[in-house]
Amino acid sequence: MGTDRSTLLVTAIFILAVVSVPKFNLTAVAALGAFPVYLCTSSGIPPGRISGRLLKLSPFILFMAAGNILFDRAPVMELMGASVTGGMLSATVILAKTMVTLAALLSLTHTMPFHRMCRALSALRLPEVLVTQLILLYRYSSLLQQEAASMQKARDLRSFGRRGKELRRTAPLLGSLLLRTTGRAERIYKAMNARGFSGNLTFQKPEAFTARELAFAGLWALGFMTVRLIF
Amino acid sequence: MHMADALVSPVVGGVFWALSSTLIGWSAKKITEENDPKRTPLMGVLGAFILAAQMINFSIPGTGSSGHLGGGLLLAALLGPHRAFITLSSVLIIQSLFLADGGVLALGCNMFNIAFFPVFIAYPFFFRPLAGAAAPPFRLAAASMIAATAGLLLGASSVVVQTTLSGISELPFSTFLLFMLPIHLAIGMVEGMATWAVLSFILNRAPALLTGEKQPAIPPLVPAAVAIAALLTVTLLSPFASSAPDGLEWSIKRTGKTIAVQGKSEPGTPASAIAGATLLIVAAGGAGLALRRSRRERSA
Repeated sequence: MGTDRSTLLVTAIFILAVVSVPKFNLTAVAALGAFPVYLCTSSGIPPGRISGRLLKLSPFILFMAAGNILFDRAPVMELMGASVTGGMLSATVILAKTMVTLAALLSLTHTMPFHRMCRALSALRLPEVLVTQLILLYRYSSLLQQEAASMQKARDLRSFGRRGKELRRTAPLLGSLLLRTTGRAERIYKAMNARGFSGNLTFQKPEAFTARELAFAGLWALGFMTVRLIF
Repeated sequence: MHMADALVSPVVGGVFWALSSTLIGWSAKKITEENDPKRTPLMGVLGAFILAAQMINFSIPGTGSSGHLGGGLLLAALLGPHRAFITLSSVLIIQSLFLADGGVLALGCNMFNIAFFPVFIAYPFFFRPLAGAAAPPFRLAAASMIAATAGLLLGASSVVVQTTLSGISELPFSTFLLFMLPIHLAIGMVEGMATWAVLSFILNRAPALLTGEKQPAIPPLVPAAVAIAALLTVTLLSPFASSAPDGLEWSIKRTGKTIAVQGKSEPGTPASAIAGATLLIVAAGGAGLALRRSRRERSA
């Protein structure tokens, strides 16, 4: 078993392996899909939780895939009597790559608590300022999102269709949220200061990779490389 | 405007990772030198504010659509460029990890397109000179609109350059650029108006938030040098990204005609590859289940 930082490293190597697949090689992407499947089954994540999110692809990705179908119409193969164009194949590869990389990332975030991920990032020598920022952002994003949702609901209840939702009505809402946010920052600073805060939520000093961690990452990298060579 | 892993080549992704990491390291160094721990929680909650503010939509007159605040320029005005870059980068990391917006390899590109341009180019070179120190309403409006639009147009152009250099999309450079720029011009104007509206509100209610903060000056050459280095490095390295075509690409180039799938189980044909990939997925799923069961038995 690997440590958290070696797991992050393996995920990054995996994403690099998927991204390195040439644009017409669908089977290689499908074969690499074995990794997120392994992550899901070994950790017991309900498949519906990951697959539900995967189906909501960003419009930008769909636009790029559609662009390939439109601009590359040269037939490259026949499948059960039907002609398949290069654009259809490369568009499918774009969608498959997106799904496979997202599945790996979502599996990782479902299995590794965020504070452990931050500790692992710190151990990977990410600047302490950024790690502290990530911890604070993660901690307060759900609180502020609840507050924003309540404000939006209150505004919508007082609006009629689109009237009342214009920018001139919404800007004071955003401004108020911002002022409340800065007020909250003052209180947080006082509370943190009282507990000995000096600028960073410090972790242990980063240590060199152990032989076991290197072996763990190396074996997975070898596996991904083998799949890339075979397919 | 978030780039995804599937749209960037390893070389382009790697180059922009290196550039964005350099900017993060530089910004972190500047923040550490400032030694102002009071602003650390402010950065954290303002990052959370940006995520929350993006949930609040407002209607855009005459279009039937709605928009939301992006926040890059607003953060730069509140925190200064270095802290704003770290804050926006952290927002992008959270979005890529938990909201599946963007990706890990594309993170460097996204930090460059979404954080670098508004914070290190639009803010110091457009917003600050235009808004001036006193920021009267008209100048603030003009500065917000011009700076937000410039930041978004530069970011959108960078997306087109990165995508074209990656060689994954078939969209021609000029077609893609002509598609992206008008859309982002409109988005930039909406972003500018939203930024101006929020900044005006703050100037009325809590002007100290904008004028009382320390905002370190950026040597003008630094961001310009990074932008030029980005373009040069990618242009020089991109030929290596696609120098080795895969089998199918090679065949298409060579024969110039339709390739028929043989469908038999000959080595290397798609039929055998599909069967192999399916087997691998099933085996991986089985191995995962077996590992979980053995763990459960050991803990029982």
